[in-house]
Amino acid sequence: MTGGPASDGRRVEDLPGLPGLGGLYVKGAAASATKRPRPGGVTLPAVTYRVPGVATGDPATAARLRAYQDLVGEPASDVLPAGFLHVLVFPVATALMVRGDFPLPLLGMVHLRNAIRMLRPVRLGDVLEVRAWAENPRPHRRGVQVDVVAEADVSGELAWRGVSTYLAKGFQVAGAPGSATAESAEPSEPVEARDFWTPPLPTGRWRLDAGTGRAYGAVSGDRNPIHMSALSAKAFGFPKAIAHGMYTAARALADVGPAHRGEAYEWTVEFFRPVLLPGTVDVAIRRTGGVVHPGERPASGSSYVYDGWRPGKDTRHFTGTVTPLPLPPKE
Amino acid sequence: MATNQPPTAAPRDAYIVGGNRIPFSRAGKKYVNASNQEMFTAALEGLVARFGLQGERLGEVAGGAVLKHSRDFNLIRESVLGSSLSAQTPAYDVQQACATGLEAAIAVTNKIRLGQIESAIAGGTDTVSDAPIAVSERLRKALLEANHAKTLGARIRPFTRLKPADLAPASPSTSEPRTGLSMGEHQAITTAKWGIAREAQDEVALNSHHNLARAWDAGFFDDLVTPFRGLTRDDNLRGDTSLEKLSKLKPVFGLKLPEPAVPTMTAGNSTPLTDGASAVLFASREWADAHDLPVLARFVDAETAAVDFVHGHEGLLMAPVHAVPRLLARNGLALEDIDFFEIHEAFASTVLTTFAAWEDEEYCRTELGLDGAFGKVDRSRLNVNGSSLAAGHPFAATGGRIIATAAKLVAARAAETGRPARALISVCAAGGLGATAIVESA
Repeated sequence: MTGGPASDGRRVEDLPGLPGLGGLYVKGAAASATKRPRPGGVTLPAVTYRVPGVATGDPATAARLRAYQDLVGEPASDVLPAGFLHVLVFPVATALMVRGDFPLPLLGMVHLRNAIRMLRPVRLGDVLEVRAWAENPRPHRRGVQVDVVAEADVSGELAWRGVSTYLAKGFQVAGAPGSATAESAEPSEPVEARDFWTPPLPTGRWRLDAGTGRAYGAVSGDRNPIHMSALSAKAFGFPKAIAHGMYTAARALADVGPAHRGEAYEWTVEFFRPVLLPGTVDVAIRRTGGVVHPGERPASGSSYVYDGWRPGKDTRHFTGTVTPLPLPPKE
Repeated sequence: MATNQPPTAAPRDAYIVGGNRIPFSRAGKKYVNASNQEMFTAALEGLVARFGLQGERLGEVAGGAVLKHSRDFNLIRESVLGSSLSAQTPAYDVQQACATGLEAAIAVTNKIRLGQIESAIAGGTDTVSDAPIAVSERLRKALLEANHAKTLGARIRPFTRLKPADLAPASPSTSEPRTGLSMGEHQAITTAKWGIAREAQDEVALNSHHNLARAWDAGFFDDLVTPFRGLTRDDNLRGDTSLEKLSKLKPVFGLKLPEPAVPTMTAGNSTPLTDGASAVLFASREWADAHDLPVLARFVDAETAAVDFVHGHEGLLMAPVHAVPRLLARNGLALEDIDFFEIHEAFASTVLTTFAAWEDEEYCRTELGLDGAFGKVDRSRLNVNGSSLAAGHPFAATGGRIIATAAKLVAARAAETGRPARALISVCAAGGLGATAIVESA
C-alpha cells in the first residue's frame, strides 16, 4: 500500500487491486470476536481505500456480468447495472471493514439500507478508479449505524456512488454516552414504521429456491455464511439461509428495467425482515407520479417505488425506489 | 377520440360461412392421448365435410396453439396436409395467447377484404393433457454445450455440473413471465381493485352453464360441432348447477392478497383447463355464391389492444376494455347497437370488471380518453348461448367457437326480425392483450 493525498481529513491508501472476498471473510470472522463495544464509543478509521485501475475488459468480468444479468433478470448488455458495480466494488468496502482499527464486527452487522447513484453509464472495458471509506457514525435505537461509501470514477468523472448503511447492535457513538437507548437520530427511521404497514396489492410474485443465496454468492462473491445454507445460517442465529438483500433489490431494479430507469438513475433500498430461503416474496413495483393519459407519452423515464413482503402476511422485507436522473451534459 | 380515424372502406366484405369444432373436454379426460394436430385436423375435417370442401384449394388456413411443441412449427400446414383439403392450400401458424383464434380470423378476413384471397379457414387448437414438457434450463444448456463440443471429454463435462434437481422436467405454466403471477392471481387483483362480489361472479357462471345447456338441448350446436373420441358434448357443462352449488366452492385465487381484498374466485367461476379445437370458414361473397354456400354473417371490423399491466397500472385481462370503445367509435356504433355480447369468460370476474370499467366515468375519462362513462351492457344480451365458463377454454380454440356462435346468432336474429343484427366479440389474453371484433348479419 502506498500513501496518498488526504481527502476530507482521511488518508488515502492505495490497494494494488481488488482484494479477494474469501480471505477477507476469514479475516473478518476472526476479528469480529474481538470487536466489542468499548467505553468512549465508536471511532471510524480516517482512511480511504483506493484502487486506481480496476479493469472491466477481461473475459472473466464479461462472463461474471452475464451470469449476474441472468440471475437478477437484467437484459444482456455491455452496460453495467448499478447492482453489478456494487458487487464489483464490494471487496474494497469489505477490506476497509476488516481493518483492525475498524471498530465494528464484520459479521453480525445488519445491512439497513443502500442508496446508489448511477451518474453516467459504465460499460464493459471501462477502467475504474474505486474508492471506499466509512463515515457518519450515528445513534440508532439498537446501537450505532455507519455509512460505508464507495465511489467509482471513469476517466476522472464520478460514474457511480453507493452508500451502504449498517447497524452494529449494542455499540455507541463517540462522545454520546447512553446513545444506544437515545431516540432515533434519523427522521426516516424505519423500525417503528413497519408496525403500521399494510401491504398494497401485489404486481408480482418471486419464488426463491433454496439455492438463491448460493447463486447470488457465486456472482457477487459475497459468500457470507448466512446466505449459503440453512446450517451455516443457523450458526449466526437465522432459522434458515436468508436471501442477499442486494439480490432482492437488484431484481426490483431489473424489473423496472433499462428502458424506464434510463442511463442515469438513483436506486435505493431499505431492508426490514430478512427473506428466508426457500421462500416466496410478493412484490409491488409501481410507477409513481401522474397518470399518463391515452395518446400521451410519459415524460422521459419514470420513477418507481417497490415493496416486498411475505404473501398473505404483513411481514415486510424491503422497500425502495428507482428514480431517473438527468445525465451530465456531454463535453 | 383523436386516435380514431374513420374506417377506410375495404374493397369488399369478408363473410362467415360456418364453423366447426370438436366438443371441448376438461384436461386429463377424453382427449388425454389426442395431440394438437389430431384435434385441429378433426375440427378441419368436420368443416370440410359440412361444406363439401374435399379437394378444394382454399386461399389459406391460419391458426395456432398456445401450448405448442417445437416440432409443431407448421402445425396448421401439417393439419391441412392430413385433411382432405387440396394439398395446394397454403397455411401458417399464429400465436397470440388466448386471442390466437380471433387474431387468425382477423388476418384471413383482411386478406379476403383486400382481394388477396377468396376463401380461408381460421381457427385454433390447444391441449393441456398433451402439453409439451421441456427440460430444465440448466439441463438444456448442458445438452446444447455437449452438442457443440468436439471431443468426448468436452461432451461429458457439461453434465458433470448438473444436480439431480436439474433433471426434473419443466412443465408449461400459466404464470406471466414478467410478474410470476398466474392469470388467476392477476385477475384476483383486478377483481379486488374493482370490488367485484362473489355472488355476481357465481351468477355469471350459472348463466353460462344454463345458457350453454339450453343451446345444446335446442340443437344450436348440431351444425357447429363434430363428435370426437366418443365425446358428443362439452364435458365441462353442468346444466344442473345452481347458485347454491356454486356458492359452496372454496376460493382458489387471491387467497394471499392483503386486506381488504376478499377471495372470491372459485373453480366454479373460473374457466377450467380444457382440450379442444375449432375452425371457421370465411369467404368473399363471390366465392360463397360460386360454391352455392349461403353466408351467415359479415366479419365487419376488428380492433386489438394491449395494456400496461406489468407494474399494476392496468389489469392483465383488461385490454378488450380499451379495444371495444375504439372499435365501436370507428364504426359509428354504441353499446346499444349491439344485439349480442360474446365476451370470453376467462373468469366470471373478467366479464364483470370489463362492465364495471365501462360504467365508471372517471376511469373512462382518464384511461380510455372518453368524455364520460362508455355505457352499460344489457345483461340479457350477454353470452346468450353460454361461453367459456361452461364450455371450457382450450386457449387458441376459443376464438373459433365464439365466431361461429356469434355468426349463427346474428343470422337467426336477422331472419326472425328482418332487421340487421350485430354481435360484439371480445377475447382477453395473456400478456395484457385483447382482440375484439364486430360480426353483423349478412
